[in-house]
Amino acid sequence: MSSRSPAATAAIAAPAVARRRPFGRRLRRGAAPYALLLPAAAVIGAVLGYPLYYLVRLSFQHYGLFQLVRHKGEAIGTANYAQILHDGFFWHVVLRTLVFAAVCVVLTVVLGTLIALLLAEVGSFVRLLLTAGLIFAWATPVVVAVSIWSWMVDFEFGVLNWTLTELHVGDYTHHDWFANPWTGWAVIISLIVWGAIPFVAITLYAGLTQVSPELVEAASIDGASRWRVFRDITLPLLKPIYVIVISLSIIWDFQVFNQVWLILNGSPRTDYYLMAIYAYVESFKISEYGLGSAIAVVMVAIMILISFFYVREMVKVGEGE
Amino acid sequence: MSSPLAGAPVAGLRTLERGRRRKRARRMGVNALGLLVFAIIIFPVYWMIATAFKRGSDIFADTPVWFPLHPTLSNFSDAIHRPHFWADVKNSLIIVGCVVVFSLVLAFLAALALAKFRFYGRKAFIVLIIGVQMIPLNALIIPIYLVLSKAHQVDKLSGVIVTYLTFVLPFTVWTLRGFMLGVPRELEEAAQVDGSTRFGAFVRILLPLIGPGLVATSIFAFIQAWNEFIMAYVLLHSPEKQTLTVWLASFITDRGTAWGPLMAGATLTALPVVIFFVAVQRKIAFGLTAGAVRG
Amino acid sequence: MKTRLIAAVALAVALAIPASTASGSTTKASASKLVIWLQTDAQNGWPGAVAAATSAFKAQHPGVDVEVQYQQWTTHLQKFDASIAAGDVPDVIEMGNTETTKYMAAGAFSALKAKNYPNSSTWLTALKQSCSFGGKLYCIPYYAGARAVIYRKDLYRSVGVRTAPKTFAKFISVGKKLMKKYGKNKNFSAFYEPGQNWYVAMSFVADYGGTIAVNKGGKWKGTLNTPQAIRALTVFKNTTRLLSRASKTTDEAHPFPSIPFAKGRAAAFIGNGWEWPYVFDPKGGAAPKSFAKKMGAYPMPSHIRGRYTPTFLGGSDLAIPAQSKNKQLAADWIKQFTNSSNERTIAKAGNIANTTTLVNVNKTNPQLAPFAKAAKYSWFVPTAPNWVNVENANVLKNMCTAILTNRSSVKDAASKASSQMTKILNAKS
Repeated sequence: MSSRSPAATAAIAAPAVARRRPFGRRLRRGAAPYALLLPAAAVIGAVLGYPLYYLVRLSFQHYGLFQLVRHKGEAIGTANYAQILHDGFFWHVVLRTLVFAAVCVVLTVVLGTLIALLLAEVGSFVRLLLTAGLIFAWATPVVVAVSIWSWMVDFEFGVLNWTLTELHVGDYTHHDWFANPWTGWAVIISLIVWGAIPFVAITLYAGLTQVSPELVEAASIDGASRWRVFRDITLPLLKPIYVIVISLSIIWDFQVFNQVWLILNGSPRTDYYLMAIYAYVESFKISEYGLGSAIAVVMVAIMILISFFYVREMVKVGEGE
Repeated sequence: MSSPLAGAPVAGLRTLERGRRRKRARRMGVNALGLLVFAIIIFPVYWMIATAFKRGSDIFADTPVWFPLHPTLSNFSDAIHRPHFWADVKNSLIIVGCVVVFSLVLAFLAALALAKFRFYGRKAFIVLIIGVQMIPLNALIIPIYLVLSKAHQVDKLSGVIVTYLTFVLPFTVWTLRGFMLGVPRELEEAAQVDGSTRFGAFVRILLPLIGPGLVATSIFAFIQAWNEFIMAYVLLHSPEKQTLTVWLASFITDRGTAWGPLMAGATLTALPVVIFFVAVQRKIAFGLTAGAVRG
Repeated sequence: MKTRLIAAVALAVALAIPASTASGSTTKASASKLVIWLQTDAQNGWPGAVAAATSAFKAQHPGVDVEVQYQQWTTHLQKFDASIAAGDVPDVIEMGNTETTKYMAAGAFSALKAKNYPNSSTWLTALKQSCSFGGKLYCIPYYAGARAVIYRKDLYRSVGVRTAPKTFAKFISVGKKLMKKYGKNKNFSAFYEPGQNWYVAMSFVADYGGTIAVNKGGKWKGTLNTPQAIRALTVFKNTTRLLSRASKTTDEAHPFPSIPFAKGRAAAFIGNGWEWPYVFDPKGGAAPKSFAKKMGAYPMPSHIRGRYTPTFLGGSDLAIPAQSKNKQLAADWIKQFTNSSNERTIAKAGNIANTTTLVNVNKTNPQLAPFAKAAKYSWFVPTAPNWVNVENANVLKNMCTAILTNRSSVKDAASKASSQMTKILNAKS
């Protein structure tokens, strides 16, 4: 137990400037770093190396069930890419995915920040309670979380419809949340944000506890408003955390599949297509594995583009400032 | 809080009193808000647990049964007595145990390289571990199956463990690296004085210091491996080799979803995560950030 | 904390070592093991038949181990595709009769000789059809299911209707009376019909002489935009909007209609034979036993006097994947599993046996007899290799939702679905 505080203080105490590390310097030129990286790189390479190559190769082939049975694709050049890039529906899905991911990321990060700030303000009992709630939400497997949510918004027996009706918000008896894509997406986004907030809130709260209280107090005495204290002191200090949290959120929310797929009982209408769903349907449902792979490749490309800034930032941080 | 003002003149006392009152009111408001947020976050979880204790007739009720007034354990016994429950518990524990341990060891070594060395290819590795997370898992199901099948790793826990490792490693490497940057130079120098081998001493000094980082990453790895479904379903054929999430999915069939047992099973499945979490809870807050603050 | 972590590591390693050695020792693809993929229906509905087949098989082949692995309908094809790609397929696989054509066309199954299997001369035509491709047989009929109307006798009686409706007009008029009497309760449906239950919509199409798609000169064409089909879909729309308050965006499994039915929210619904007991299942409708006295079933009447509205003849087949290394053993197991005695067990669980010789198994069972009767008029999906892609792309479910929610006219929705089907069915595979 006691090992916590030294490390924590160490982390805070360590100045942000790059320092010369004696061991590092001595070992720098040898094969040591490569040897250290080898096991992790080997596992990732062994499991993902060939699949990645396979994915890209597949995207240049016509690969249906016929080809799957014979283990041999039919090379068709860039036809798969041409097909999706000239398909208006595909671009519609891309746009929807971008908007969807943006909404999820913004909501998750803003609400996560607010809850983190709240955690720092409340009494210790409420804090314990709130942390426990966050942990429970985080610990719920996605399959289960989706079951609970779909159960809550259920058309026949859902607790949400009943409550809204009882509260005289309107007559929500037999209200079908998924009939209208807008309310359907609202339910899905709530579900995803609910599941994503714990990671963000707990991480940010931990960051807040390391912001020196003296600094904040000094600023408050100087008459700075809470907002200014947050903007000018807290935010810059938390920037590295935000870089991680936001880039991970972008990556995760851009790939959302399970929540949408499961809550719509595995048969989403085209109104509910995201890129991951589109790729899945083409591959596994229509058995157009080549086309599905091409969509997946385009998806990765788009993600690299939008997360370029954050990845560069992380690489920069990774370079040791 | 008010100690710097303790010697303030009497005239100031009244405003101080008012300030205190305002502070107290604010504090109460904040706590009330905290409770409200708690209620919203916990409700789905509460609904799961409450449903697990309800009788069948209370689950599908015309007016929702907010609290299981006639609690029953039949859903739990139903769930536990489904075939292969204990085998699946064991499999999940083995998989999670191995993923957590191996990911920590491998990530520790890799993080050491990233944090303490400057070498050619470092940037490429960082891009690699971020990039790995960008590939949609569904697109990789067939190719991963192919690779594992060639290595005779299909229908074996080891195949699933290796697969999970690849998806857990990026985060663990990155976080641990942050912790290592946080270790002050003085401690490293102290280790140097020690007579034992440099590397050994370095590890001996470093290991305890990044304990919280190991805890934080282990929780991440734990949750990821414990909750994964699709790869486990596709890779594990034999019923006695499957994991708890695959077992859970069997409650949802074309001939009816067993809601009560499903929620009971879900509660049981979430329990180990919560226990693990509570056990290391005091570390996590510090753990996660100490790493993150360092980038 | 350190000690705890170390303990955890030690525990995990201790657990891992026996596990990895254990998994390492099982030899792969040994000829002494037969791997069978059945759906969970068998696990829950007729485990006795599975056990009987396996023990008879083992008596025949004492050295061979049989492992039955149960799969989910929603994900089993995905798993099967992956195993095909790697060449380590199961020796026997159960497939829905709408799923088989695609795999037969792709050459995923090995060809079989009908005469080697029990009752092959009396197999249900619809199931046999779903196993035939290019003049060859690729799978063995397993069982079928027909749908009929399950209804509340007491509610029907309360609006003065004492016998099950024999004409479609009667069916509608009972429904109207029920809606008038009980419709104030907004949860009540005279005829509970989830919007995406496309099997019901297509039953209307079949009743009005329409088809889903036809093959002309080797080319498939979606035919839901024909006048007959549009007329049928309009009847489907009017009937559903008039009598049902079920969700228009979910199918007949979410929730199972038997649950609102058990709760008194529905006077009737179209369901399979096995949905009857689900009304009483404590995990389902949880209705009291006495509820059974109020229940009845009848085949859905047609708009043509004296006929029934054709029911979808769903079912399952058993196939031997082409890559299986134990084809002879697999065939022997299937022979045992589909013999008359096991088929009788399966039929008694609320299904229709694969052979017409067992058609009367449930005749004396008032609960199941109407379902067997309903099977007299049936329809089946187009036997196009790509048909399952139409299902998987939710073409018909989406069409039903669009029609019922008035998001598009019947004609527009039907034309859109038809052209989508034409495109999917003719896609090169």
